Amino acid sequence: MGKNKKKKALRAWEEKVETRLAKVPERKEKFETSSGIEVERAYFPEDLTDEYMENTGFPGEYPYTRGVQPTMYRGRFWTMRQYAGFGSAEETNKRFKYLLEQGQTGLSCAFDLPTQIGYDSDDPMSTGEVGKVGVAIDSLEDMEILLDGIPLDKVSTSMTINAPASVLLAMYIAVGEKQGVPSEKLSGTIQNDILKEYIARGTYIFPPKPSMRLITDIFAYCSENVPKWNTISISGYHIREAGSTAVQEVAFTLADAIAYVEAALEAGLDVDGFAPQLSFFFNGHNNFFEEIAKFRAARRIWSRLMKEKYGAKNPKSWQFRVHTQTGGSTLTAQQPDNNIVRVTIQALAAVLGGTQSLHTNSRDEALALPTEESARIALRTQQIIAYETGVTDTVDPLAGSYYVESLTDQIEQQVLDYLKKIEDMGGAVSAVEQGYMQREIHEKAYEFQKKVETGEEVVVGVNRFRIEDEKQPELLRVDPSLGKVQRAKLEQLRERRDNDKVNETLKALRNGARGQDNLMPLILDAVRVYATIGEICGVLREEFGEYRPV
Amino acid sequence: MERKIRVLVAKPGLDGHDRGALVIAQALRDEGMEVVYTGLRQTPAQIVASAIQEDVNVIGLSCLSGAHNELFPEVIRLLKEQGADDIIVIGGGVIPDEDIPFLEEQGVVKVFTPGTKTKDTADFIRHKVSEKQGAAESIMSSPEKIEHIGIAVKNLDESVKFYTKMLGLKLLGFETVESEQVRVAFLEIGETHIELLEPTSEDSAIAKFIAKKGEGIHHIALKVDDQKERLNKLKEAGVRLISEEPKLGAHQNMVAFLHPKSTHGVLLELCQKVDTPMLSDHTDKQ
Repeated sequence: MGKNKKKKALRAWEEKVETRLAKVPERKEKFETSSGIEVERAYFPEDLTDEYMENTGFPGEYPYTRGVQPTMYRGRFWTMRQYAGFGSAEETNKRFKYLLEQGQTGLSCAFDLPTQIGYDSDDPMSTGEVGKVGVAIDSLEDMEILLDGIPLDKVSTSMTINAPASVLLAMYIAVGEKQGVPSEKLSGTIQNDILKEYIARGTYIFPPKPSMRLITDIFAYCSENVPKWNTISISGYHIREAGSTAVQEVAFTLADAIAYVEAALEAGLDVDGFAPQLSFFFNGHNNFFEEIAKFRAARRIWSRLMKEKYGAKNPKSWQFRVHTQTGGSTLTAQQPDNNIVRVTIQALAAVLGGTQSLHTNSRDEALALPTEESARIALRTQQIIAYETGVTDTVDPLAGSYYVESLTDQIEQQVLDYLKKIEDMGGAVSAVEQGYMQREIHEKAYEFQKKVETGEEVVVGVNRFRIEDEKQPELLRVDPSLGKVQRAKLEQLRERRDNDKVNETLKALRNGARGQDNLMPLILDAVRVYATIGEICGVLREEFGEYRPV
Repeated sequence: MERKIRVLVAKPGLDGHDRGALVIAQALRDEGMEVVYTGLRQTPAQIVASAIQEDVNVIGLSCLSGAHNELFPEVIRLLKEQGADDIIVIGGGVIPDEDIPFLEEQGVVKVFTPGTKTKDTADFIRHKVSEKQGAAESIMSSPEKIEHIGIAVKNLDESVKFYTKMLGLKLLGFETVESEQVRVAFLEIGETHIELLEPTSEDSAIAKFIAKKGEGIHHIALKVDDQKERLNKLKEAGVRLISEEPKLGAHQNMVAFLHPKSTHGVLLELCQKVDTPMLSDHTDKQ
């Protein structure tokens, strides 16, 4: 490109942004530092070389290294989305309302383990687990209570649910129907990422093949009926929590993403039909600059894959949109207030990396679920970054840093090496079945532990700068009688509902599972007549079998 | 050869977080134990059945979901029911301090919370298993005598004055041990000695001891003639050693220390006279 041509390209970008601004203005007319220095939308090198244009480019433009939107946080801040849920639907509904009152801009729901693994609260497998790590949902009835008074056409909801994602999405749609909100207007996310469950998180139910079918059924159903929904949140978060490096986090997440894209293509879906609804989920970890570079590298790799390898034409299919949560496993049980500082730094890295939404962990999460006070401080942490620091006033402020650009390139290269290796193994599903990613992660986790024990890695308050005889702060406790309450509720529901209809819809679901039909409408029918999650997943368990790790 | 300690690392309940379980399993293997990992989602009944079938000494339960108060006691109840309560049960995970007394009362021998070194867990297991196996019988004969009692002092000359003038002990001599950054004086009393230790630097262990606890008894030294063998046996039995190899100390002794955490609060030294006079020039040795 000649110099003039480059100037032209820049002008074209600016014009494009201006047109957009007419519709969606930025937060302020003019951004300034404390000294009155005007802050530009983005800063560029003197010379827009071919290499720059190819690898970095303009914000909001292919290959999206600098972010998926042209104005980023000058337009609007990321969605502040605190993951919450514990105990009963009533309690969680109260916490949701509290967080919305405190200025949170989206909901993120945690379910208890029985719900995540498709067991009812009265199943013997659920002993001790009801309501512990999230809210207990057995049927549509619980979901109605959970979302009571929350306008589903205005608030977007992220649900951390994987193996039974179809069931929870169906319940959400059914609650929307009762509120008079059509499914086209619903917005939110289901995690729905089964591969990382096999790799790192552990709440799988079915073997890979039928699991992939459930996922592609959701893709197909939502692209028609719930177009504003993120049908999957392909997650590196838990891979990182299990002990991986930043490169492994990006590599294994993208390897999983490739597997979903290929499964959907194989199911006959059009790439531009489902790809705009794919979203991602990363960890915000400690190594500050590496974390920032990680987001930039992931965006570049993804857009190239989607455009060049899968031939997507819609720019929305090229965009790597990501939710971030700060790293839970970096939190220490010792001196828990120190965690506020860790979270702040991790959150800042995610913001400088260009995340679309963010959860900041609470200081007490190495000990228990957060108290209301801890959850508020965590939210305030994001608000301080957003409103007080000015890091939101220009797009991708670290572009052009020799260090950050070099890290971005090197992460990209190492990720591509991993992707090649996994491709050679037959793709992510096959690599997971062989335990490849699991082993790679464990090796790094063990290495880290050894380094902490020898003191090579310093963890403040744990292996250095300790305090003897610490007192633990007050922790949130989930009422242990909840299991009983939930069991009684279920018993009443089973008496009250129309059991013939339940059996009918479950039978239709069983037939559907044996054939090729999209299962989403069948699950929705069952949910509407108050079939429980355990009953629905029970039918699918019988038809699909259960996954047993190697 | 003695049988290796066998451990079942188990994940009760529905919790899918197994980073900790996998790390501890490998660490215990590296410590020479035989470890079986159950995998995720085990009911207490499955765990007890595996433990009996695998004939383990120890079950390590890992739970991060908050279900420990229900699941851990159930494992113990089933072990008792099946006459297998000789198996030691330990636990770990996200467990609030206030739950630990309840779990211990239920029969969990020890709960390891986040930040525990894997080595400490391994030592604990060895210690408990050897306690169970050897119950009353001693694994070694008594040391010959108390070789000396070490007393940390701020000012060596003044202290020596007290012990010689006021108590009439006989001073045998002074020595500086560079490696330990101390100057010591030996005093004779009957068949044993008193060793006065003065720090020569702020970094010396004696200086830190004085800063923390003030002057006073620092260690008791036991005279042995099978130092290496004893250290090995103690280590096997799960006793924490400060260093595994004996070092050259003052008074022509090879010395090795046992951690107060394993000896009920006393720093114990095992010392053995060096045979070769060549080694006596130790002041510049590490």
